[in-house]
Amino acid sequence: MLVAWRYRPRKSLVQWFDPRAWVIFYLCFLFSTLAFWDIRFLLPFLGIALLWLFTSGLRWNEVRRPFLFIGMFVTFFAFLTFLTGRGGMELYETEHLIRRYEASFTILGWRPALDITVERAFFAVSQFARVFSIAVMTILIPYSLNPALYGITFKGLGLPDKIAYAMDLTMRFIPTFARDFQLTMDAQRARGYELEKISGGLIEQVRKLGPIFVPVTIHAIIGSEDIIDAMDLRAFGIGPRTWLEELHYQRRDYALIAIGVVILAASVVAGFAGLGNFWVPEALIRWATGG
Amino acid sequence: MDKRLVSVVGALVVLLAIFAIVMFGLGTTESLGPFNFSVDQATLPLRFAFVVVGVAIAFVVYFLTKEHPIWEVGTRHVVYMAIGAALYAVFSYLFNGTVFVVPSLSQVSLRPAIAIPMFFGYAFGPVVGFFTGAVGNMFGDALTGFGLSPQWSIGNGLVGFVSGLVALFGDKKKSMDTVLYVSGALAFLAAAMFFLNRGQANMLFYDVDNGIFGDQQISLFAGLSIVIGFILVAVVRFAFGQNVDIAAAVTWGMLGNILGIGFAAISDIWINGFSPAAAIVGEFLPAAGPNLIFAAILVPLLVVAYSSVQRQSGR
Repeated sequence: MLVAWRYRPRKSLVQWFDPRAWVIFYLCFLFSTLAFWDIRFLLPFLGIALLWLFTSGLRWNEVRRPFLFIGMFVTFFAFLTFLTGRGGMELYETEHLIRRYEASFTILGWRPALDITVERAFFAVSQFARVFSIAVMTILIPYSLNPALYGITFKGLGLPDKIAYAMDLTMRFIPTFARDFQLTMDAQRARGYELEKISGGLIEQVRKLGPIFVPVTIHAIIGSEDIIDAMDLRAFGIGPRTWLEELHYQRRDYALIAIGVVILAASVVAGFAGLGNFWVPEALIRWATGG
Repeated sequence: MDKRLVSVVGALVVLLAIFAIVMFGLGTTESLGPFNFSVDQATLPLRFAFVVVGVAIAFVVYFLTKEHPIWEVGTRHVVYMAIGAALYAVFSYLFNGTVFVVPSLSQVSLRPAIAIPMFFGYAFGPVVGFFTGAVGNMFGDALTGFGLSPQWSIGNGLVGFVSGLVALFGDKKKSMDTVLYVSGALAFLAAAMFFLNRGQANMLFYDVDNGIFGDQQISLFAGLSIVIGFILVAVVRFAFGQNVDIAAAVTWGMLGNILGIGFAAISDIWINGFSPAAAIVGEFLPAAGPNLIFAAILVPLLVVAYSSVQRQSGR
């Protein structure tokens, strides 16, 4: 049985556009965001991502789990970067200290200390804006793309019929196999197997992953026979494929694609012009140095 | 020239043109904004020649065998592509250290999901293997919500692609011995680079306790993991010498892993401006070495289970 993503038709900005236009815009957005470390350049991207999110018609209880997971992950790493200063060192050479906190105790002669610097703080904020923008846009995809349109969308993006249909099936299978994985886990747990408590040497630990890997994989292969038969009976691959639903670009779709391409082109030009590198406000540096 | 050949040649020419623009055009500058395309000008012709040779080898493999049935894509292949990619994406997402933390030791994090493109490539051919690795990696990355790394997706695709080339050889036993020797030579060559660059940082290691990413010296275990993996694969190959399918799957999976991950790591010399030592010792060894442990253990389990299914279903 196929399990579907949590898509449903909604009156939303993202679903107002042709899925192909949305995917093209997403790719332009993704590569544009990656070109910048300057928070002034990243904030508009975060704004665009939040605009799509808040007009998507998604309810909090629908997206709570992925957002809590991604949100905690992004926040954790941004905070870790802030505490340790690791990660941003390739982007800045000097640091301007705002305040230094030292522990009142020592561990084997070493006194734990936390340096809060202008660069660390701004790098953490920039990192958060950058990754969270991409995460928001990526999370929207399964909730806003109609599964019935996956195949025709990939076909419309220029892929051959067979590859487009394989992409369509891949997206449909992912939630199904995630469910199968959970069912297999539960079944193995009932037999006393606990993935979280695998013990033994390295090779033994890897071998013990077999009771999860093998049944899920083999079950998927066996289950595919019905799909293969159904496709063969409908003469799949014999001639050019027709699709049950067809997509037609509207003016608004061309406009969205144009906006995406302009954003990407502007980002590339800005990058080549040396704009968008890591930035901290001069005033903050002067304040930190007492100037 | 037939239509299919024209489209393949066209795609390769476009690929080479992109490399040429990046290397000869943008490679002369130190850095362009956030992009670093700088290439050592002294060795530029040699490096470009290396790219041409790599693409040419792939084309020659296809051209010499273009009539072989392994390049045909039927209904069964389309479905297996989708199943392989979806399984790889799900397993990658679940075992990437966020949902289930697979044990890691001495700077080496383990990715059991890599067994999927190796097995699908071996069992269903290079086209299915490539799609499984490339698209599965792409969706696996996307599922975590952190965007894509195209060169690593292609590298993962090559893992499955090379694993599936076994079907080109009539004599599997003979082919896997050659593959074993070639893989062994490459593994020991990489390990030798590790000893020549002992101070190199492990670019893939993130030490959560100390908040260190990519700047801790590579450990002895991480550096030698490819040799340990090679020994494990060799043991499986000779211990299961009578079962050609198991022995061939692990040896071809090993070669696929070395070439595919090697491609991804080496591409970072151009894409991220890494030195060859950083790419091979800092990226390739800690990624490709542990993968061989899964090639040696999980791939045989999948091959045996699939053989039973084939016997029962008669397909």
